[in-house]
Amino acid sequence: MAMTDHTLGLYVHIPFCVRKCAYCDFYSMGYREETARAYVDALIAQIRANAGYGRDRTVDTVYFGGGTPSILATGEIGRILAALRASFSVSPDAEITVEANPGTVDRAKLDSFRASGVNRLSIGMQSASDEELRTLSRIHTRDDFRHAFFLSREAGFDNISVDIMYGLPHQTEKRLSDTVDYALSLHPEHISLYGLKIEAETPFGRDPGIVALLPDEDTQADMYLKTAEKLEKAGFFQYEISNFAQKGRESRHNLRYWQSRDYLGFGPAAYSCVDGHMFSYPRDLARFLASAGDGPLGEDAEVLTENERATQFVMLAFRTAYGVDADEYRRRFGRDFPTEYGDRMKPFLESGFLRVENGHFFLSREGMLVSNSILSEILDFTP
Amino acid sequence: MTRQEKIRNFSIIAHIDHGKSTLADRILEATECVAKRDMEEQLLDNMDIERERGITIKARAVKMNYTAKDGQTYEFNLIDTPGHVDFNYEVSRSLAACDGALLVVDATQGIEAQTLANTYLALENDLEIIPVVNKIDLPSADIDGTRKEIEDVIGLPAEDCPAVSAKTGLNIGDVLERIVTDIPAPKGDENAPLKALIFDSYYDSYRGVVVYMRIKDGHIRAGEKVRMMSTGAEFDVVEVGHMTPFGILPCGELLAGEVGYLCASIKTVADTRVGDTVTSADVPTAEPFTGFKKALPMVYAGIYPADGAKYPDLRDALEKLQLNDAALTFEPETSIALGFGFRCGFLGLLHMEIFEERLEREFNLDLITTAPSVIYKVQYKNGEEKYIDNPAVFPTADEITAAYEPVVRANIITPTEYVGGIMELCQDRRGVYRDMKYIDANRAELHYTLPLGEIIYDFFDALKSRSKGYASLDYELAGYEESKLVKLDILLNMEVVDALSFIVHADSAYTRGRKIAEALKNNIPRQLFEVPIQAAVGGRVIARETVKAMRKDVLAKCYGGDITRKKKLLEKQKEGKKRMRKLGSVEVPPETFMAVLKLDEE
Repeated sequence: MAMTDHTLGLYVHIPFCVRKCAYCDFYSMGYREETARAYVDALIAQIRANAGYGRDRTVDTVYFGGGTPSILATGEIGRILAALRASFSVSPDAEITVEANPGTVDRAKLDSFRASGVNRLSIGMQSASDEELRTLSRIHTRDDFRHAFFLSREAGFDNISVDIMYGLPHQTEKRLSDTVDYALSLHPEHISLYGLKIEAETPFGRDPGIVALLPDEDTQADMYLKTAEKLEKAGFFQYEISNFAQKGRESRHNLRYWQSRDYLGFGPAAYSCVDGHMFSYPRDLARFLASAGDGPLGEDAEVLTENERATQFVMLAFRTAYGVDADEYRRRFGRDFPTEYGDRMKPFLESGFLRVENGHFFLSREGMLVSNSILSEILDFTP
Repeated sequence: MTRQEKIRNFSIIAHIDHGKSTLADRILEATECVAKRDMEEQLLDNMDIERERGITIKARAVKMNYTAKDGQTYEFNLIDTPGHVDFNYEVSRSLAACDGALLVVDATQGIEAQTLANTYLALENDLEIIPVVNKIDLPSADIDGTRKEIEDVIGLPAEDCPAVSAKTGLNIGDVLERIVTDIPAPKGDENAPLKALIFDSYYDSYRGVVVYMRIKDGHIRAGEKVRMMSTGAEFDVVEVGHMTPFGILPCGELLAGEVGYLCASIKTVADTRVGDTVTSADVPTAEPFTGFKKALPMVYAGIYPADGAKYPDLRDALEKLQLNDAALTFEPETSIALGFGFRCGFLGLLHMEIFEERLEREFNLDLITTAPSVIYKVQYKNGEEKYIDNPAVFPTADEITAAYEPVVRANIITPTEYVGGIMELCQDRRGVYRDMKYIDANRAELHYTLPLGEIIYDFFDALKSRSKGYASLDYELAGYEESKLVKLDILLNMEVVDALSFIVHADSAYTRGRKIAEALKNNIPRQLFEVPIQAAVGGRVIARETVKAMRKDVLAKCYGGDITRKKKLLEKQKEGKKRMRKLGSVEVPPETFMAVLKLDEE
């Protein structure tokens, strides 16, 4: 019953940073130019080895994430993109995003991005308070961010996303509101609003005193709800739990994840999901560097059952504002969503955490805020 | 010398931690029953729980041979006694099977509440008591002071009593000789009809029930028919024998004066009650032993399987445990909150804890236990009297003319400096002061009448914490007294949770209600909606707390398509919810039902 996706999204992981931020547990390490160059070589070899995944498919999104993709030397992103184009049929109007740290870009690099076809930037502002940026051990200041943002505009980027974090140590609603106002004053096309999560294997996670410094649960909830309202008033549409965009400026690549459409990821700790096969590279740079000669990925893939695919579809769709489209569920899995989930959804529909409109079942904003509790209740993970 | 003149039946009595089990081990070693290297520490405590807690729960007996200085070889039968007030009746029956007792007193602690209680039990049974001053190897040991205390407080001559170190084995020989010289030999009539006292029994899956008994008169051998005098039940004896340190050892015949066992294909220990008299079915003895009582539970609690589907497993487990414990009672009950379970009766809280542990360890069951309750007595307006063992069904004030609760006479021994704090504690627990005696310049003995319901849970801990661990407690049931009792109902999200109902004295209802509401608030995790917690008496709310609604529980980012991580997180969360109990729409962790008791931790 599974439908074949005729498109594909590509993710490329760049596991290097100037230095690690205090909250981050993504896979990355310190940047060294030779290592990075060798890494790009290995990526290119891997891209070639996996060209088979692109057969009969059009690549319509490419995403460079990290780490810090913008840390790579000028021209390296272009080199990777050229390799992707050589092995995959990348659509001329594909969305091509690079994540950028304000402390790592200059005009030449931005021009080079443009020249190689990059058409979207996601810039990690996180906060407009220098004090908060220091707490997070970000490498840039608010002014650095502003400079990078305008530089990007000058280079011709007309699709820029800005990251904001809430729930930071010592953060007040006022401070967050200042950050949001500042971001809005720059008129980006897209804003991501992430709640700080304390991960165990990070400097924050190892600090036993950290929790006491965070705003309490109610304050964090208010921060989220008020920010979402403010963004909405400023013309941004919330299309996912953490993401807001001006009309037509949603991140098409990220939407792939939430719409259970196929993607292929390259680099250590990069994930792939193709035709119900899920696989990933281990979090091990040395092993990846040595993998250049390896054949295609996916030998050890976890193959999802039809049930698992359906459950995963629901889990991911509920992250979006559109929610689960009962028609699409039937198209994809041949099953009736309201019949299957009705009983378990009922209390949440009654309390307003869940809503239904025109066959779409979706979480209210309050529901999104407690989506783990709701989803763990209504999803059935039995294979 | 006649056969009986060479038998000595005795037991060891002591306050907890005064060295009873260690002394027993040394005696076993000295009589060469057990090679030192074969000895597991504290041989008589067989159960894991006993060894972990350092408390003897079941009575044990063991036969040894000792060659005394007079050149004769004597048969010693050591009958160990349970070491906890929950098992007072069992202790008294074990003592009744003896002719003498060693009273062990710690030379660093002196006499304590259980020392006295056990001595009185021994005296009631006309036992010859040999004081033994123990732990003389410790630097703080006061041998003379302890001897004097034994003479002054108990009135036993002690000036030349053995002073030993059970730990090092010092002077153990003195004890063995005194057993020979001081403890009277049994004087049973071998030719009289069989009359044997049951002091313990256990269920063995091959033999059926193994009955431990002391033969007072007559004799018994395999093939004979015996009768249990309290029930009239008759059994054909399959095997008789002795208890050795290495297990039971069959023999041809047991004779008057001896301690041994019988097996008779008995299916349940309920047929072999401790304290009952075994006699011959053909030629019965005229009179049974006095003092037989059917063990009566004092504390009741609801025990429910955490997973409702395990109800039959729980029933099977309780039935199996009951084979071995006549004091355990259980009846099916239904709770709106907890579903199907059992109302179980126990001798006391220790007994209850042991059972819970055994159910969990030996039968792998996850349990939810409601707060233990005593049995109340109520007098209805129509004159009917009823015993209530489940707070959920306690009648309202307008249905009854009077309510009664069980009380105990408590005996507390404490260094004088803690008397004030302990009196305050007893007062807080609605105790009625009876009197106080000074044992010596430093120690006092306090007598209070206390409601059993006030002391079953944490009174002992509170006593210990107010006396830096020095005070000791003993108590005995002293009937029922009228009391202003009310049922405190707990409402979660406006619905009464029957399993949380609680009986409380009217005067403390408000304080209690507030504390329970607070404790629940701290125990119940945030839900997706606000949960009001109310404590109410007779429909009137006397305390209220609120568990605020959960507002944020979300994963900010699905990093680079790592769906598996999110899925695992949600699966884990789902698993976590499984252990929660749903009360109406509110999910609570299983510990919540005990939380209402943990109120004295401020």
